[in-house]
Amino acid sequence: MANSNLPRRIIKETQRLLSEPAPGISASPSEENMRYFNVMILGPTQSPYEGGVFKLELFLPEEYPMAPPKVRFLTKIYHPNIDKLGRICLDILKDKWSPALQIRTVLLSIQALLSAPNPDDPLSDNVAKHWKANETEAVETAKEWTRLYATGA
Amino acid sequence: MDPEEDMHDARGESSQEEEDFYSEGYPSDGEDEDDDGDDAGYDFVDNDSDDPSTDVRRLQQNYTTLNEENISQRQADDINRVSTVLSIKRWEACVLLRHYNWSVSKVHDEWFADEENVRKTVGLLEKHIEMPNKRELTCGICFENYPRDTMKASPCGHPFCFSCWRGYISTSINDGPGCLMLRCPDPTCRAAVGLDMVDSMASREDREKYARYLRRSYVEDNRKTKWCPAPGCEYAVEFVMGSGSYDVCCKCSYSFCWNCTEEAHRPVDCGTVARWILKNSAESENMNWILANSKPCPKCKRPIEKNQGCMHITCTPPCKFEFCWLCLGPWTEHGERTGGFYACNRYESAKQEGAYDESERRREMAKNSLERYTHYYERWAANQSSRQKALTDLQALQNEKLEKLSDRQSQPESQLKFITDAWLQIVECRRVLKWTYAYGFYLHENEHAKRQFFEYLQGEAESGLERLHQCAEKELQVYLEAETPLKDFNDFRTKLAGLTSVTRNYFENLVRALESGLNDVGPSNSQAGSNQAACSKSSSSKSLAPGKSKSGKSRTGGAATSSRSGSSRGMDDSIWTCDSCTCTNPKSNSHCQACDRHR
Ligand SMILES: [Zn+2]
Ligand SMILES: [Zn+2]
Ligand SMILES: [Zn+2]
Ligand SMILES: [Zn+2]
Ligand SMILES: [Zn+2]
Ligand SMILES: [Zn+2]
Ligand SMILES: [Zn+2]
Repeated sequence: MANSNLPRRIIKETQRLLSEPAPGISASPSEENMRYFNVMILGPTQSPYEGGVFKLELFLPEEYPMAPPKVRFLTKIYHPNIDKLGRICLDILKDKWSPALQIRTVLLSIQALLSAPNPDDPLSDNVAKHWKANETEAVETAKEWTRLYATGA
Repeated sequence: MDPEEDMHDARGESSQEEEDFYSEGYPSDGEDEDDDGDDAGYDFVDNDSDDPSTDVRRLQQNYTTLNEENISQRQADDINRVSTVLSIKRWEACVLLRHYNWSVSKVHDEWFADEENVRKTVGLLEKHIEMPNKRELTCGICFENYPRDTMKASPCGHPFCFSCWRGYISTSINDGPGCLMLRCPDPTCRAAVGLDMVDSMASREDREKYARYLRRSYVEDNRKTKWCPAPGCEYAVEFVMGSGSYDVCCKCSYSFCWNCTEEAHRPVDCGTVARWILKNSAESENMNWILANSKPCPKCKRPIEKNQGCMHITCTPPCKFEFCWLCLGPWTEHGERTGGFYACNRYESAKQEGAYDESERRREMAKNSLERYTHYYERWAANQSSRQKALTDLQALQNEKLEKLSDRQSQPESQLKFITDAWLQIVECRRVLKWTYAYGFYLHENEHAKRQFFEYLQGEAESGLERLHQCAEKELQVYLEAETPLKDFNDFRTKLAGLTSVTRNYFENLVRALESGLNDVGPSNSQAGSNQAACSKSSSSKSLAPGKSKSGKSRTGGAATSSRSGSSRGMDDSIWTCDSCTCTNPKSNSHCQACDRHR
């Protein structure tokens, strides 16, 4: 099995994620590949995503932790920093990555991003424009999408 | 955007800037002199004055070519200086210098103004924090426990194990020059990770890469230095700002403008060059035909190929018509034989050439207003390729021909230096002449007096250069092919050396005039100084050469008027033209200032 020489760090992180999960976040490794995680984040209260359950995938590349994990939303979401393919614009996933950061910190940061969208550093131009031009309306759309795609109905 | 705004104008150097640069990195005058070693440095050197290729440049060397070793040495010196003055470690000084783009004075200024803030910005802690005092510590990256004494930390005390540090540093180095601003891996900490950590933990390969980035940064982030833009050249050039011409010549022999890094373009300023290059790329489709190396002979219409540097073309037998490659006019109207005024450089006169095929084509082009540009572009491009050819010829000369000639003519090679000198002069003059066509294109249409004076000087220079180039190219051939009487060879020597020095004079006049904006054309007094060999020093500096007897603008106007009349080479009655070398002389001289022939 390819997981036999998994670095101790990944094993430790995984154990801790399972034994003491962060509030509103669950992450569990896949059976076949211990570097691939199925993630779920609950939409934070007081945000347009409240009540939604968002699925993500997280992958730890060979260079991890020297290189950041690769994370992507699987659930459709209307957010200025997340594009159609679910890719996330977050500095710690790029140039601000540090090997002393962990899966847990990354997921907490993504959760925080749902609470505080940043249309000034957009990944999805149209959504960001919408957000800046008419925030109330954009928030409504986000709520609508949450109902449509993230409530498991 | 206007490229001119982005650059310092070669002529309009602000004194503000000069001050900035003089103070930069040189807290006290002279202290830096030692660094220069035996390089030319900033000294006023004159040891090259017998090399004609340097004559058109300044005698004052305002730049230094640096090789890898020089760069490292300078960098180390700067680091040591900052480290000593601020009483900080060398690696800390290095971090500081990198942050302030290697400006020693800027580092000093900022540090003494607000040390605390500077430390915070660049991540240098004043008090070093020890790692937690436990027997075993957990590495913040691999989460393993290790004995405390095998762990390492920046001055912030965040412990990581050796192999994680190594991986962290290696990843950053392989990511690019950002590794020079590396911080502690702890995301809450901004402590700098410097050269000492890299040296003690990175692999040899990574250490070398890091050192390369350091050297590169010292050149690229430093306002005083730039890489030589010649392909494959690894020298850098350090320039003293505010010290005259931007033209520098790298040790690899490539000449370039330090300011805009285009090839050397003195006496034309950077803005004009940028506009011209932009114009050329915009027009490149229309101009392709110009670069073709074949034109129909104006007389017999057979296609003639240009395979030489000089513009004097002779059609193949039986036609043998001699014509000018640029304007397709008969060469007899260009040469000294008729005393005709050289006017091939002038745009207006080109229109009056006979009804040749090529001219007809040109007239057609006039309809879409390209003709004027075409005139200048063709001459610019022709001089460019002619220079290229001359460079190749010079190389061939140095590689084999000189030896052969030395054999044939039983002359030691040391006695043949005049030929190399001639070719060096040709190469430099082709470069200057080429850029004067960009200058001419942008010289305002309604500045008639200036334009005519400019065209007179350019014409003189160009005609001199054609004679020199032809002599070096064609007449030399005779002596390469067979043994000839010593007297003939000596005559050739006199002629070629004379033409070299005359041409040099013409070009010095031209360069001087253009650099002073055609406003204040100084008399050729400095010409006498730089040309001791050929010129009689007794010639008065006040009344030399065309129209240079009186002051300022009236002189320019006078020159212009008489040049329009096209009366032989002379501009007015106060000068005479040497029959031997065609140099112009003031009436008061009884001997030619260039070749010393009696009038
Ligand atoms: Zn470690
Ligand atoms: Zn730290
Ligand atoms: Zn070079
Ligand atoms: Zn320039
Ligand atoms: Zn012919
Ligand atoms: Zn001509
Ligand atoms: Zn003479």
